[in-house]
Amino acid sequence: MNKIAGIGLVAPYIIHTVIFWLYPFLWGLVIAFKRWNIISPEKEFVGLSNFIGVFYDPLFWISFKNSLYFMVVYVPLSIISALVVALLLSRIKVLQSFFATGYLMSYISAGVAYSIIFRLLFSGDGLINTWLSKINISIPWFSDPNIAMASIALIVVWKFLGYYSLIFLAGLQAIPKSLYEAASIDGASDWVQFFRITVPLLNPSFTIVLVFAIMLSFNIFTEPYMITGGGPLDSTQTFVMQIYHQTFTALHAGYGSSFAIIIAAISFIFVFVIKKTVERDVI
Amino acid sequence: MIAIQEMKSKKRSRVIGLSIVYTLLVLGLIIMVFPYVWMILASFKIPSEIYNRFFPSRFTLQNYDLMFSAGESGFNNPFIRSVFNSLIISSIATFSVVFIGSITGYALARLRFRGRDFLNHFVLFQMLFPAILFLIPRFLLMLELGWINTYQGMFSPFMVSAWAIFLYVQFYKTIPQELIDAARIDGCSELRIVFSVMLPLSKSVTAIVAIFTFMSTWDEFMWYIIVTKDYDLMPLSALLGLYTRGEYSSYPGIQTAGAVLLTVPILILFFFFRKSFSKGIAMSGIKG
Repeated sequence: MNKIAGIGLVAPYIIHTVIFWLYPFLWGLVIAFKRWNIISPEKEFVGLSNFIGVFYDPLFWISFKNSLYFMVVYVPLSIISALVVALLLSRIKVLQSFFATGYLMSYISAGVAYSIIFRLLFSGDGLINTWLSKINISIPWFSDPNIAMASIALIVVWKFLGYYSLIFLAGLQAIPKSLYEAASIDGASDWVQFFRITVPLLNPSFTIVLVFAIMLSFNIFTEPYMITGGGPLDSTQTFVMQIYHQTFTALHAGYGSSFAIIIAAISFIFVFVIKKTVERDVI
Repeated sequence: MIAIQEMKSKKRSRVIGLSIVYTLLVLGLIIMVFPYVWMILASFKIPSEIYNRFFPSRFTLQNYDLMFSAGESGFNNPFIRSVFNSLIISSIATFSVVFIGSITGYALARLRFRGRDFLNHFVLFQMLFPAILFLIPRFLLMLELGWINTYQGMFSPFMVSAWAIFLYVQFYKTIPQELIDAARIDGCSELRIVFSVMLPLSKSVTAIVAIFTFMSTWDEFMWYIIVTKDYDLMPLSALLGLYTRGEYSSYPGIQTAGAVLLTVPILILFFFFRKSFSKGIAMSGIKG
């Protein structure tokens, strides 16, 4: 009885997973070894040449460089600012949830909506530059190839600040107060307490946020698509934009698929290395 | 005497410390909320003021007027129809994720059958795979099924969430066996048990699952522009994104009004269910 019911109840999940998960997954692997333009019935087996082609594709390396640039700005900035907000929030009792909710508001903005907002706000003659011009500064946020990717990183920091700080706050609240009390009786200064107690015990939260941030760095699409379209001078091209372009504009389905597999492998390697180097067992 | 003075100065430094903390939090909050305030104000400005003024010189509804009369009015208006499309797609996906999540979660947490342990591991395993791997073959699947330019093409991949199943499994493990036994004695089928015993007890999990699913399918962009070519069928996120890049690229008024239209429903959800949002994130492991 229990058996039949069990299988009956998991059946919808299994059917959906086979059709929309397993089958596409395997198909993606197969077509990565083929040359196919989606329209013609002809699917020529080309071995590893799609995969090799990716590494000869200058736009792959440009996107790689851009993703690393994004990461170098995004990861430290988002982690430090989220940690600061979490530490401030952990100090207060009155209005703590009010502030936490307020900081979380940016997280719920849709990619398309906040891209529109920031593209206008940070445009050459936009409000931010109008204000900056009063002190004789004008920053070509999205039109200078050297800083366009950093500007995009900056607005993504805005979006995820509240989200990451909530993860840190949950981590901070899990640290037993008695540790700090014992340390201050022993005469440890606030700084010593921060680096000897808070930082090591916050390791699980650090690891989660770091993994999220790195996965995100390899998967950005909506913001550059909406704001810069990959320009200026390909400075905001990303992996996902390349996959999108190769598959749905140039119709190289096989090539796009092997590109996607390589990107998944690269992000796995990054996450794996990060976990190995950062993650510590916390007693 | 000295002790009292010391206590006083300690208290004073604590008050100073706290006021610095609050000041910093308020300043940060202003920066965080500023883009929203700007967006809402901008949508009521005459377009020439969007770029260089914070406060409008006068409030106008012309952006909304233009948006809701662009092309045609009423239900034939692309924006109004796209809101309707978004509601259909997100509601079906949300309903399905909750439904399939709860029955699968119940079976995996409380029933014994062959393959259960394998499935429990498989759900966790599934969450490791990045979405990018499925983008192209799912599109090809839609081509094969003839589901390009259909609602089902847009929502079908989002009908099941391994993350939701995982949350339900975790929660259903904590429900006392006596409740399930009592329901069985009363002659309830296993499906009935899910809906009249388990689901009513798991409102907080259901709220989290439903809200995050609704939000992510409402905000989704790339998948929708891949599987739909027809403006009539597009959800708001896709329509607004493509319009902003295309037809309305030089109409910042319509763009900001559209951004408000896209943001406000989720903002309303957020204010009603803000606890569930925070809980869902603090539980972590949540999809980015």
